[in-house]
Amino acid sequence: MSGSSITVSGIHAAYGAVRALEDVSLEVKSGETVALLGTNGNGKSTLMKCIMGIVRPSAGSIFAEIDGRRHDLVGRSTEAIVDLGIALVPEGRRLFPKLTVEENLLLGAFRRIARAQIANNRAFCFEAFPQLAERRRQLAGSLSGGEQQMLALGRALMLAPRILLIDEPSVGLAPILVRRTIDKIQQLKEQYRLTVLMAEQNFTQAIRIADRGYVIVHGRIAFEGRSTEELNNNDLIRKFYLGL
Amino acid sequence: MDFPVELLANAIVAGLLLGGFYAAVTAGISIAFGILDIVNIAHPAFIILGSYIAYIVNANFGIDPILVSLIMLPAFYVLGGAVYQVYYASFERRGQEALRGLAFFFGLLFITEVGLVLVFGVDYRYVEAIYIGPTLRFSFIDLPLRMLIPCLVSLLMMLCLQLYLTRTFIGRAIMAVSQDQLALRLMAADPVRIKRIAFGISIATAAIAGAFLIVIQPVEPSVGREYIGRVFAICVLGGMGSLPGTVLAAILLGIVESITATFYGPSWAPAVSFGFLLLTLAFRPAGILGR
Repeated sequence: MSGSSITVSGIHAAYGAVRALEDVSLEVKSGETVALLGTNGNGKSTLMKCIMGIVRPSAGSIFAEIDGRRHDLVGRSTEAIVDLGIALVPEGRRLFPKLTVEENLLLGAFRRIARAQIANNRAFCFEAFPQLAERRRQLAGSLSGGEQQMLALGRALMLAPRILLIDEPSVGLAPILVRRTIDKIQQLKEQYRLTVLMAEQNFTQAIRIADRGYVIVHGRIAFEGRSTEELNNNDLIRKFYLGL
Repeated sequence: MDFPVELLANAIVAGLLLGGFYAAVTAGISIAFGILDIVNIAHPAFIILGSYIAYIVNANFGIDPILVSLIMLPAFYVLGGAVYQVYYASFERRGQEALRGLAFFFGLLFITEVGLVLVFGVDYRYVEAIYIGPTLRFSFIDLPLRMLIPCLVSLLMMLCLQLYLTRTFIGRAIMAVSQDQLALRLMAADPVRIKRIAFGISIATAAIAGAFLIVIQPVEPSVGREYIGRVFAICVLGGMGSLPGTVLAAILLGIVESITATFYGPSWAPAVSFGFLLLTLAFRPAGILGR
C-alpha cells in the first residue's frame, strides 16, 4: 500500500458574488499533518468544503491519492468522496443530537469498508475516549462541548478513513480541553497512520502537532511554512496571531 | 348499583385490540411525519388502496386479505419510493416542502379517493376470511378473532420495523436523516436514497393496515378520512419518531376510546381522545416516549 495525499491546485470558489477562495493551491503529503491557519472568515472552511464536494470550486483542480490510487474530487458528490476514505470532522461537529453516542458512532461505520472493521474501531474509540464509553447510551445532544468534539472525532474514525480533515477542533472549548484535543488528534493520527489537514485559529496549539502549515488570508494562501520554525518566525504570523 | 366489572374488562380488552390496529395505521405516519418530517396526509388514502386491493384479490381468488397485503408489500414499497421521488424533485429539493408539499399530499389523497370512487363506486366492500366470524371466550372476556388477528400481526410488524430501525445501518441512517442531512452525507450515505427507502417502507405499511381495516370493517373510498386526525394524534402522543411510543399511544387511545364508547356512547370517543392528547402534551410536550 502506498500513500494517501491531497493536492489542491489553483482553486477559486465563491458564494454568489462574494469571493471566498482565490487561486488557492495546497498539498498534504502522505502521513503529514498540515495546519491551515487563519482567523474567521478567511476561507478555511470553504477550502475544506471544496475538498469534500460540499462547495463546488469555479476553477482549479483537487486530486486525492488513496492508497496509491489517484482520484479527481471535483464534481463528485460528498458521499462518494467520503466513500473513497476521506473524512471531515466539520465545523460545529454536526452530531446527530437525538441519537445516542453509540448510534452516532455506528453511523460513522455506514461505509461498506468500515462495517467490516466496526468491532475494532469501536473498541479503539472507547479506549481513546473513555468518557464516550461511559456515556454510550446518552443522547449526543446532552454531551458537553468537549465530549461532543471527542464524539465527532470518534465518529470520523469509525469511517476508517485514510485522510482526515478537521475543521477547527478547538472552537468553543476551554483552553485545557483544546490542548487535550490537539494531543488526541496527534495520537490518533499515529495509531491510524492518517494523513491530516487541520484548519485552526489557535496557532500555538496547531503548530505543536503540525509538520508544516499554510496561512490563509482573505481567501488567498498568504504564506506557506515548510516547517514549524518557518511559521513561528514569519512576520505575518507574528503580526496577526502573536501580536508582536 | 354494582360496578360493571365485566363490561369494563371487555371495554379494556376491546381497546387493546383496537389499539393494535391503530398502531399499524399510524406506523407509516410515524415514519413519514415523525422521522422524515414529511407531512403525508395522503397516508389514509394509501391504506384504503390497500383495502381495495385486498378486496379485489379476496373476491376473485379467495386469498386471505392479510396474506394479499404481505404479497403486495414490494409493490407498495416501490410506489412509496416513486411518490417520494416526485415529492423530492418537485418540492423538497427547492425547499418548498412546507406548504406546497402539503398541498401535493392533499391532492394525492383526493385523486386516490376519486379514482377509487370512479372504479368501484361508493358501496361498502368487505372481505371474507375464516377469522372474521368466530370469537374466543375466556370466562367473561370476549376476543373476536376479527380484531385479535390484525392486532397480533400489527404488533409483529411494529417489532420488525423497530428492529430494522435500530439494528441496521440503513435503519440508523433513517433515524438520523432529518436531524442533519449534511452530517449524514459525511458518513457516506445519500440522504435522498435513505429517505426514499424510508418512505417506501412507510407506504408499504399501508398495504398491511389496509388489509386490517377491511377485515375489521366494511370499506368505502372516503372511510380513510376518519383516521387522519386520529393517526396524527397517535403519532404526536407517542413521541415523534418513536415506534414503541406509537404502539403505546395507539393502545392507550384505543382503550380510552373503547371505554368512552362503552359507557358514554361512541359519539364522545373522539372528543375524549383528543382531550387525552392535549392533556398528555401539556405534561409531556415531547410525547410519551419522545427523545
